Amino acid sequence: MSAQEKYQSLLELANQNGTTYELTEGDNGTLVITGTAPSAEAKQALWDEYNRLDPDYKSGDLILNITTGDAAGGGANTYTVESGDSLSKIAGKYGIQWKAIWDANRDILHDPDKIYPGQELKIPI
Amino acid sequence: MKIKFLTVLTIAIAFFISACGKSDADLTKAVNEKLAADKITGVTVAVKDGVATLTGEVADVTVKTKAETSAKSVEGIKNVVSTDLKTKPLPVATPAAPDPALTGKINESLKKAGCTGATVAVTNGKVTVSGEVPGAKYAECVQVIMQSGITGIDNQLKKGK
Repeated sequence: MSAQEKYQSLLELANQNGTTYELTEGDNGTLVITGTAPSAEAKQALWDEYNRLDPDYKSGDLILNITTGDAAGGGANTYTVESGDSLSKIAGKYGIQWKAIWDANRDILHDPDKIYPGQELKIPI
Repeated sequence: MKIKFLTVLTIAIAFFISACGKSDADLTKAVNEKLAADKITGVTVAVKDGVATLTGEVADVTVKTKAETSAKSVEGIKNVVSTDLKTKPLPVATPAAPDPALTGKINESLKKAGCTGATVAVTNGKVTVSGEVPGAKYAECVQVIMQSGITGIDNQLKKGK
């Protein structure tokens, strides 16, 4: 049974609850569903169905990447500065150059050596 | 005698009509119209002796099922054969970012979600996640990882207390 068949009821549910999605094939036949749900409830319904079909999401044959229309993801590409951080240290966590972070945050940073715990930095990846 | 003859004739005619039903050409047209009404594209229909054979390529498995149901719902269709109705080959998923950037992004997202105890390693967009996170946070932790733009997952994450 293909992953599409295994997760057919999840896709049917997405069609019903107004979630738009695209399918791609990831690592070794993994089904990747990338989409946008109309509400947090609709998204949760999909995750509930996923959990029903594959308890605790252990099979590794599906990547469910559903966002809701608003940017409720908590800012996926931001980094919250911690005590002891420096731009180069943060850049190291992402495998990018410190200058890329500096350039992306010129609106809130004025000196590359001065960042403060709690600051939200945009990470250009 | 005359009445008897008429009765027999009527029955004969009724039998003839019901046995013939709609022609295969009519049924093909009806199925095509039904599919169009249900906004299903990519399906070719051939009807023979009331059996509809669907071929072609549709977007995904849900469209295939819908096409089968639609065709079956047409009056006069006895059976639907769809073994050669294929779903489109899926495009290859591409990771949202290089492995180190994905690693950093996932770690930061996990931290923000309160998923302490999870360890991730990313290879060519595929994530291996291990460790133990609070049981109540488990589903959210998996969501965070899957929403980072990865293309594969080996989920060894455990539910703790």
